[in-house]
Amino acid sequence: MDVEVIVKIGQYTGAGVCMGLGAIGAAMGEGLTGGWANRSISRRSEMAPSFTRNMLVAQAVAETSAIFALMVTVLLIFVDLSGNGICAWAAALGAGLSMGFGAFGSGIGAGYSGSEAIWGTSRQPAIGGQMTTTMLVGQAVCQTPAIFALVIAFLLMFKDYSGIPAWPYSAALLGAGLSMGLGAIGSGWGGGETGGAACKSFARHPRTSADMMTLMLVGQAVGQTPAIFALLVSFMLIFGDYTGSITLSGIVAPLAAGICMGLGALGPGYGNGLTSARACEALTMQPDKSGLIMRTMLVGQAVAQSTSIYALVIAFVLMFVV
Amino acid sequence: MEEIGSVSQWILNIAGYQVVLNKETLIMTWIVMAFWVLFALLATRTTKLVPNPLQSAAELLVGTWDDLVKDSLDLTDRSYFPFICTIFLLFWISDMLGVIPFLSEPTKDINTTLSLGVLGFFVAHYSGIKFKGFKRYIKDYFEPIFFMMPLNIIGELARVISISFRLFGNMMGGSIIILVVSYLIYSLVLPPLLYAFFGLFIGTIQAFVFTMLSLVYISVQIK
Repeated sequence: MDVEVIVKIGQYTGAGVCMGLGAIGAAMGEGLTGGWANRSISRRSEMAPSFTRNMLVAQAVAETSAIFALMVTVLLIFVDLSGNGICAWAAALGAGLSMGFGAFGSGIGAGYSGSEAIWGTSRQPAIGGQMTTTMLVGQAVCQTPAIFALVIAFLLMFKDYSGIPAWPYSAALLGAGLSMGLGAIGSGWGGGETGGAACKSFARHPRTSADMMTLMLVGQAVGQTPAIFALLVSFMLIFGDYTGSITLSGIVAPLAAGICMGLGALGPGYGNGLTSARACEALTMQPDKSGLIMRTMLVGQAVAQSTSIYALVIAFVLMFVV
Repeated sequence: MEEIGSVSQWILNIAGYQVVLNKETLIMTWIVMAFWVLFALLATRTTKLVPNPLQSAAELLVGTWDDLVKDSLDLTDRSYFPFICTIFLLFWISDMLGVIPFLSEPTKDINTTLSLGVLGFFVAHYSGIKFKGFKRYIKDYFEPIFFMMPLNIIGELARVISISFRLFGNMMGGSIIILVVSYLIYSLVLPPLLYAFFGLFIGTIQAFVFTMLSLVYISVQIK
């Protein structure tokens, strides 16, 4: 087979994987939001138009990650990447995997935030406007892992690989896609849990809004650390130098590094989201204790993150030592 | 689409060493600094009890951060306030700069965010040694059990990476999305809205997050 055919195979496979996987999370999140909008109408039917409006806004934001996946898919199908050299097949497939998996968590998470915001508005109709702001901020921050996945997908697609041997670089590029894609799931989902809990707690105790926003943002940002490790490993795999190790083990090592970091970031990202979600709920019960709550949350998140640090260390060992 | 990942640089030869400067990042950072110098001059030139709009804006900004720093650190003096507030002011305008045509965000460059992240790291650890004493500072690395020491050190270093890559990734992602969408739809309708979303909204949130995390890392060290 010549280069064009191989690269086209990679592009089409990547496109299919990207849109297929990318459609899962956003749709689940949007369905959740729609369901809670219906429940909210059962609580306050006179506010139905406002719930419907909020539902559409929340669903539109949750759909963003699926639209990112659609963008990557369209480019993978219609842009010819065969001029970038033989490695472009793996880059295209890696881009598809990165964006496809990466859209999953953020889609569900954004839907979760949206549903809690609508349910909260039905509890406290007077704070509707502020609630929408809280929801949008929470959703925007929980999209960050999907944005990272998009960055990696575009770097993979549009980097020039001409003159670079097919192996082990192809394995490294596939690994980069897998690392970022899988690594984005947990943080996106967990960030959404946090955003949802913040909206719920805000409805319960509207006066804590400023502290709540700060706690939510810090919690979500710290919860993104595993996704950032995955981003780092992906960067290193894309721009790494693998000359002189065309053995089978040398090919598997970078791929394994990507899988290790990707899966290793999944649990800590979600777990950190759960930690900060409960912290937001705690703040409504004890509004004076915001400093204590934030410190405890950070310690809990740091310990939960240590497993992603194990994965990062092993990924480095696989890349540089083995 | 070749713009993705390309950087325009000045390469200087000084005493046999090659010094590489990222042209765009430097110029844009100087623009941000010039903006704040100008703003500070205009806002404080004639301070009155009944403030003019610029003065009230400045008071609001400074007052908000003063309260936040006070709440997080529980210190009687304001020694950390200038550092924290400066980080926010620098990154806030940096993130929004891409909205103006022909300008670009200096935070799109990992060097900007990483250098401020490293600075925050050193400030936090220096404060830790200053407030807790050297012995207790070292002892905290051996918590909860002594063999957690290597992981604690990696965890501390990982914070620098996470804080700087978060801002960098968001800004870089925003600019790539704008570039690609403009390419796909021939710059019709959507790009200005995307600029507003990524520059004004995401940019403000991420500048706040970066500053808040720097503050939190200091407060974890000194308590």
